[in-house]
Amino acid sequence: MTRAEHVALKGTREGLVLYLDPTADFEVLMKELDKLLKDSVQFLQGASVRCYAGQKEYTEDEHARLETVLREQHLELAGWLTSEEVYVPGKSQSQTTEDKETRLGEEGMMEGSCLFVERTLRSGKSVQFDGHVVVLGDVNPGAEIIATGNIAVLGSLRGVAHAGATGERNATVSAYYLAPTQLRIADLVTRGPEDEADGRGPEIARIKDDQLIVEAAGMNGWRGKAR
Amino acid sequence: MGEVIVVTSGKGGVGKTTTSANIGTGLAAAGHKVVLVDTDIGLRNLDVVMGLENRIVYDLVDVTSGNCRLKQALIKDKRFPNLFLLPAAQTKDKTAVNPEQMRLLAAELKEEFDYAIIDCPAGIEQGFRNAIAGADRAIVVCTPEVSAVRDADRIIGLLEAAELRNPKLIINRIRPAMVKRGDMMDITDILDILAVDLIGVVPEDESIVISTNRGEPAVMDQASQAGEAYRRITSRIQGEEVPLMNLDVPKGIMERMKSLFGLR
Repeated sequence: MTRAEHVALKGTREGLVLYLDPTADFEVLMKELDKLLKDSVQFLQGASVRCYAGQKEYTEDEHARLETVLREQHLELAGWLTSEEVYVPGKSQSQTTEDKETRLGEEGMMEGSCLFVERTLRSGKSVQFDGHVVVLGDVNPGAEIIATGNIAVLGSLRGVAHAGATGERNATVSAYYLAPTQLRIADLVTRGPEDEADGRGPEIARIKDDQLIVEAAGMNGWRGKAR
Repeated sequence: MGEVIVVTSGKGGVGKTTTSANIGTGLAAAGHKVVLVDTDIGLRNLDVVMGLENRIVYDLVDVTSGNCRLKQALIKDKRFPNLFLLPAAQTKDKTAVNPEQMRLLAAELKEEFDYAIIDCPAGIEQGFRNAIAGADRAIVVCTPEVSAVRDADRIIGLLEAAELRNPKLIINRIRPAMVKRGDMMDITDILDILAVDLIGVVPEDESIVISTNRGEPAVMDQASQAGEAYRRITSRIQGEEVPLMNLDVPKGIMERMKSLFGLR
């Protein structure tokens, strides 16, 4: 695909966003958009697109032309986005960090460095990591994991787990079988369940309204003990 | 070239010494040339369990520090001419030997014997590090108690860190009746946590107490249930495939009558 200078089409979680350079001439934009859409027409058909052009206001005529160009490629103009709603590399530094923080706040901690532990952690073993920790095995009683990010265990978690150890309250702890000796997220501490109920399936622990809660990990395909 | 097998557990009192004595005697009974090494310096027991206490002249520390030759310290067993014991020193402590000396000793024993069984002391300190230094394989003994399982887990981790991979597990002193009632951890509970290969399950048996006091390993007692379990473990160490012992609780008279009349 040819890289256009003044228009860019990007996929986000909320759908397609068309970026139009506010400083560029409208005719240039139309030409580039036409080429861009023709090149990528197969996989875009039927999609709805929202546009972003910074502070720039287009005339009604220009609006109509843009819509026509899009409709020609079976795309629907769904609306316009404001600067607050999109991520633009050119934005000032403070704004981007703020943006990033709000995103983290919404979704838990999605990104960052990650440590894979490719074996079972036995009693007496301690893993400390600045980031997320994924254990490909069990965490036995007497073992502990301390991470500044999330903790995920692809086996049984029976030891001590501390996620968001430097105070991140949106960190989570998840495990195929979640029965920790003690569970800590940020500054909250809770003990594991007293009764060992089998076959509960994967669970995830997180903080909701200042309370540490455990809920079934949202895996729709999970049915009983799939071993 | 023989094999050095360390018998360890972390927790004390789970039956390391009894297991060492029985496995060693069992292997000797099968015709192998075997040496038992007691590394529990300062708290030696294996000589007592084997009934050889009164024959000790030299010990492990004498050998590693060069006071005597290995041959002088080895004590021949009462029953089997192909079974020997290298006793621990009683008047010293664990620091009297270091892992390097144990590696050299293990290499020397391997030249001479088919199997060297090393009885490890409880704990994870120097005594443990000495005992595992020269070992090729490890057997972990565990009883069906949460504390013993916890310690066994730690020990398996330490063994793996010392490149002794895939240790074998013996579950000792299990009481089938209690397991059936749900008052004792069962085999699957333990294996669920430890996740290692099981090499044998030994039931709690009064004959062990008697045989230990007499200095005659139970493995030679054909009537003993624990002895039978140890015989099977011995076979498995030699690479044979033997099924686990049937540990079902014998039915009482009433139950047998009921099953006779098809009531159960």
